Amino acid sequence: MFQALGGRSIQAARLCARRRAVVVESIRGRKSRSDPVAKSKEGRIKTPPPVDPVEMVVLKERYTEYKLMMSALRLDFREEVLRKKYEAETGSMAEERARKEAEEHGALMAWNREENRRMLQIRLQRVQKEKEEAERKELEAILELEQKQQEFIRMKEEEVMQLQEEAKHFITLENLDQRIEEALDSPKNYNFAVDKEGRVIKQTVLM
Amino acid sequence: MPMKGTFPIRRTLQYLQKGDIIFKNKVKIMTVNYNTSGDLSDGARKFVFFNIPQVQYQNPRVQIMMFKNMTPSPFLKFYLDDGEQVLVDVEGKDHRQIAQHVKKILGKSEDTLQAETQAQMQASNPANFGPKKYCLRECICEVEGQVPCPGTKPLPKEMTGKYQTKMAAQQE
Repeated sequence: MFQALGGRSIQAARLCARRRAVVVESIRGRKSRSDPVAKSKEGRIKTPPPVDPVEMVVLKERYTEYKLMMSALRLDFREEVLRKKYEAETGSMAEERARKEAEEHGALMAWNREENRRMLQIRLQRVQKEKEEAERKELEAILELEQKQQEFIRMKEEEVMQLQEEAKHFITLENLDQRIEEALDSPKNYNFAVDKEGRVIKQTVLM
Repeated sequence: MPMKGTFPIRRTLQYLQKGDIIFKNKVKIMTVNYNTSGDLSDGARKFVFFNIPQVQYQNPRVQIMMFKNMTPSPFLKFYLDDGEQVLVDVEGKDHRQIAQHVKKILGKSEDTLQAETQAQMQASNPANFGPKKYCLRECICEVEGQVPCPGTKPLPKEMTGKYQTKMAAQQE
């Protein structure tokens, strides 16, 4: 049953292995149907080997018994395999197993759905938080802008006030003469020394 | 052959065989939707980079498809035999967590795997002789240290049947 080579090729293989020009052993089936019979075999009548009746009877008995037992064993094994396959697919155990598996699957799917729901909640919260953050940032930006604008206005107003203050002491064409007279009347002495604190410590005498 | 690319360890047999997610028989298709940028998709990216090769190696019959930048949040979807679709949200998860989660819901359990290996061992007995498809050896002549096949090397004369019968006949 498991043999890979036939009888023919064994002969051929042996021939090739020994590397002889002359064909020592015959290769079976060398002649076709239409080839004539060999000279040496012209009048040959092939007779089968003689059969011993006693031996034949004994052998027949033994063979029938043997064949019976072998076929019984083979059928037994085949039936066992088929029965196992049948039980695995449609036995009582199989049904229970299938039911239990379906149950477990259902439980796992429920757990998965719970996980998904939890993730959904987390995601919603995160999205909410992000939205709030964005709104807060916007408001803050607006406030900042307003504040800056206010600062700017205040600064400008201060400058205007300061300028107004200084305008009182400006020298105009009207009091030009008067201011010149005043300046000439009051000489100022710029020769003085200061220490590190900024206090005046020495001063020359004005002539 | 040199180790090419980033993390070439992913291409070693040892790494692939260490994958422990073996899907149940009813899982046919696995789909991963993820984004190439963004913090929340990082776990999914790492899962695709590190764990998908292991999963595919252990489940050669499952079709795995990757989709990039199609949805704002990453997820996995499994398509089962009976038409059921299983959705797994993986936003913000670590790749190890994702692998654990997947193994828990759709992976074969430890005892199932053990039972399967036991059945495999029982079905294939190494002591059997038979066709190469089902057994290790066809004939005792294939084993080291045994008598070589008489088809290739003729037996010594003393071991042939006809010589032994001749000797037995001579002695009687």
